[in-house]
Amino acid sequence: MSVDMSSAGRPPAAGGVIHDLGYQRYDGPRLGRAGIVAALAWHSFRSAYGFSRGAKAKILPVIAMIALCLPAVVNAFAMSRGNPRVVDYDTYSPVLRDLVLTVFVAVQAPELVSRDLRSRVLPLYFSRPIKPGDYPLAKYLGFTAAILVLFEVPLLLLYGGSVANVHGGSAVWAQTRALIPGLLLGLMWAVSLAAIGLFLASLSARRGLATGTVAIVLLLTYTLAEILLQIETQSAINSGVARPAGPPGAFAGPRVDLAEKVAGLFSPFTLFEGVRRWLGGTSTADNVPAPGAFGVVYALVLIAIVALSLSGLAARYRRARLS
Amino acid sequence: MRASPSEGQADPQPLTSPAGRGAAVIETTALTKVYPGNVTALAGLTVAFPSGVTGLIGANGAGKSTLIKVLLGLLEPTQGAAKVLGHDCVKDGMKIRQLVGYMPEHDCLPTDITATEFVTHMGRMSGLPATAARERAAESLRHVGLHEERYRQIGTYSTGMKQRVKLAQALAGDPRLLLLDEPTNGLDPAGRNAMLELIERIGAEFGIPIVVASHLLGEIERICDGLVAIEAGRLLRADTMDSFTRASQTLLIEVDDGVDALRAELARRGLRARPYQRALLVPIGGDDTYDAVRDAIAALGLPLSRLEQRRHQVEEIFRDDDRIAAPGSGEHGELEAADVR
Repeated sequence: MSVDMSSAGRPPAAGGVIHDLGYQRYDGPRLGRAGIVAALAWHSFRSAYGFSRGAKAKILPVIAMIALCLPAVVNAFAMSRGNPRVVDYDTYSPVLRDLVLTVFVAVQAPELVSRDLRSRVLPLYFSRPIKPGDYPLAKYLGFTAAILVLFEVPLLLLYGGSVANVHGGSAVWAQTRALIPGLLLGLMWAVSLAAIGLFLASLSARRGLATGTVAIVLLLTYTLAEILLQIETQSAINSGVARPAGPPGAFAGPRVDLAEKVAGLFSPFTLFEGVRRWLGGTSTADNVPAPGAFGVVYALVLIAIVALSLSGLAARYRRARLS
Repeated sequence: MRASPSEGQADPQPLTSPAGRGAAVIETTALTKVYPGNVTALAGLTVAFPSGVTGLIGANGAGKSTLIKVLLGLLEPTQGAAKVLGHDCVKDGMKIRQLVGYMPEHDCLPTDITATEFVTHMGRMSGLPATAARERAAESLRHVGLHEERYRQIGTYSTGMKQRVKLAQALAGDPRLLLLDEPTNGLDPAGRNAMLELIERIGAEFGIPIVVASHLLGEIERICDGLVAIEAGRLLRADTMDSFTRASQTLLIEVDDGVDALRAELARRGLRARPYQRALLVPIGGDDTYDAVRDAIAALGLPLSRLEQRRHQVEEIFRDDDRIAAPGSGEHGELEAADVR
C-alpha cells in the first residue's frame, strides 16, 4: 500500500492541501437549476448554428439564413425602384420557407439530440444537479429560439428594407402593423417545428438516420397533404363547381370543402397555413383553403401534435437516464 | 471501520476508521434495489465509506453501478436508505449531484469538440458561471495531464487520454466526493498505472474522498486506503487496506517432493496450509509459525527449495472468500478473527 495515510486522512474541509499541483477549491457562486437549464439552452441554441463547432457545422445554418433572407433583399431592391412591397410578412415566400425550415430542422435537430445519444454523454448530464426533464426542456428552448431567429431575421430584414423605401409615418406604421402578425406566426412555427423535430431526431442516435426520419416525416406529410388538396381541388373543378382565381376552396361545395379542409390536417405546414387563415391572415399561399370555423380543428390538431411530441421527447429521456 | 455483515442490521459503531480518518462520506442502511422483473441488484446493503480512497470491489453484476446510481439520486431504492456527505439520496439528489463528481464506466465523450470546450461545458452543467467554468476546465485538464493537448478534438485522443478527460469533467465542478466507475477500463498496463497514480494523487494531495469501483482487485491494493467488497448486492467485506493485508501475511513453502506429507505434518502441528500452485501457503500467526514450519520440514527430511514470506495480493484473499460468500459461515468468522489479530 503506497498511499500516505496521514495526508489522505486530512479532512478536505481544512482548505484543501496545497501541493505542487495547486488544486484550488471553488467557493464562488453556483448557478441553480434554472441557471443550468438556461446555460444548456444557450449552448443548444449555439450548436444549432454551429458555434463552437468546426466550420463545417456552420455551412448549413448560414446557407439557410442567406436563402431565407434573399426574398427580403429582392423586395428591398424592387421597392427602391418604386414598386410596392412584393413579399408579404405573414406568408413571406412560402415554398422557400417550407423547404428551408424542413432542411434546417432535419439537419440541426439531430445536431442537438442525436449527438448526445450517440456519444452516450447523457449520464454526465444526469449526474449534474438538474432534474430528468430539464435536459429535453433546455434542448427544446434552445432549438425553438434557433428556429425563431431563422424565421424572424428575414422578416425584420424585409421590414427594414420596406421602411427604408416608404415615406411618412402612416406608411411606416402600416408596415409595422403588417409585420407584427408575421412575427407572431414565427412563434407558432418555432414551438411546433422544434417539438416535432427534436422528438423525431431523439428516436435515433445515428445522425443520418435521425435527419432522414425528420426529413421524411415532414416531406411525406407535406406531400400527402398537398396531393389530397390537389385531388379535392381537381374533383371540385371536374364536378363543375366554378373555382375562379382567388382563395381556393372559398367557392367549393360544402361536401368537397370539408374533405379539402381535412386534407390540410396532414402536414405541419398546411396546419400552419390553416391556422394562419383562421386567425385572419388574408394573403394566400398554399393550396390550403380558408378553413372558416374549421380552423379550430387546425389549431387543436397542431396543439395535440406539439403536446404529443413533447411528451414523447420527455419519455425518451426518462428511459435514457437509466441506461 | 469494521466489517458490517450483510444481514441488514445497522453498524452500531461510530463510523470512523481506526486510522483516524474522518466521518463516513457514504453510508447505506439495509439498501435494497429490486428492478422490475424481480431482479435484485442490491440486497440489504449496509456499509460506510470513509474518506480517503476506497475501493468498491465486485464482479460485473455485483451491484456496483446500481449502488452508484442510487447514491447519485438517479435510482430510487426499493428499501433502505443511503446518505452521501450527509444528504439523503432520495430527498436531496440535486444537492448530492452538486457535490459529487461522477466518472461513468463506459465511453461518454463527444468526438468532435475540444477537451477544453467539453470540460468547460460540463463545468457549466455543474453550476459554475462561465468564467469560472473556463478556468476550472483548464485547471482540471492540467491536473490530469492534458494541458498541452487540451485544444485538440477529443476524437483524436487515445483511450488513456479520453479516460483523463472523463476524470477532468468530474473534477471540473470542484466535487467534495468523486465516484469513479472502472476508471482503468480499456487501458493498457502503462495507461492503467498512470490512471491509478493520478487517482492516488487526487485522493492524497487534493484531499478529495474517492470511491473507485472496480472488478480488478490487484489494482485496488495499490491505491486504496479502504476496501468495500460486494457480491450479488450484498456486503462481502469492508475494511481498511491495512487489515486486509495484515490478515494475508503468509509463508510460501516450496519443497521438491512430499508436499502432501508436509501438509499433513503441518496440520498435526496446528498450521492450516493450503496448496498454491506447486507450493504451500501457511498463514503467519507469529514467530512460532516459522519454528513449526522449520521443525516440520526437518522432521520429514524434505528437500526445501524455497521459503518466502509474502504479502498476499488482495485478489487471492477474495479467491478464498468466494467460498464463504454466505455471511456468518464458520470460515468467515475465522477470517474475522484473523483480522483482529
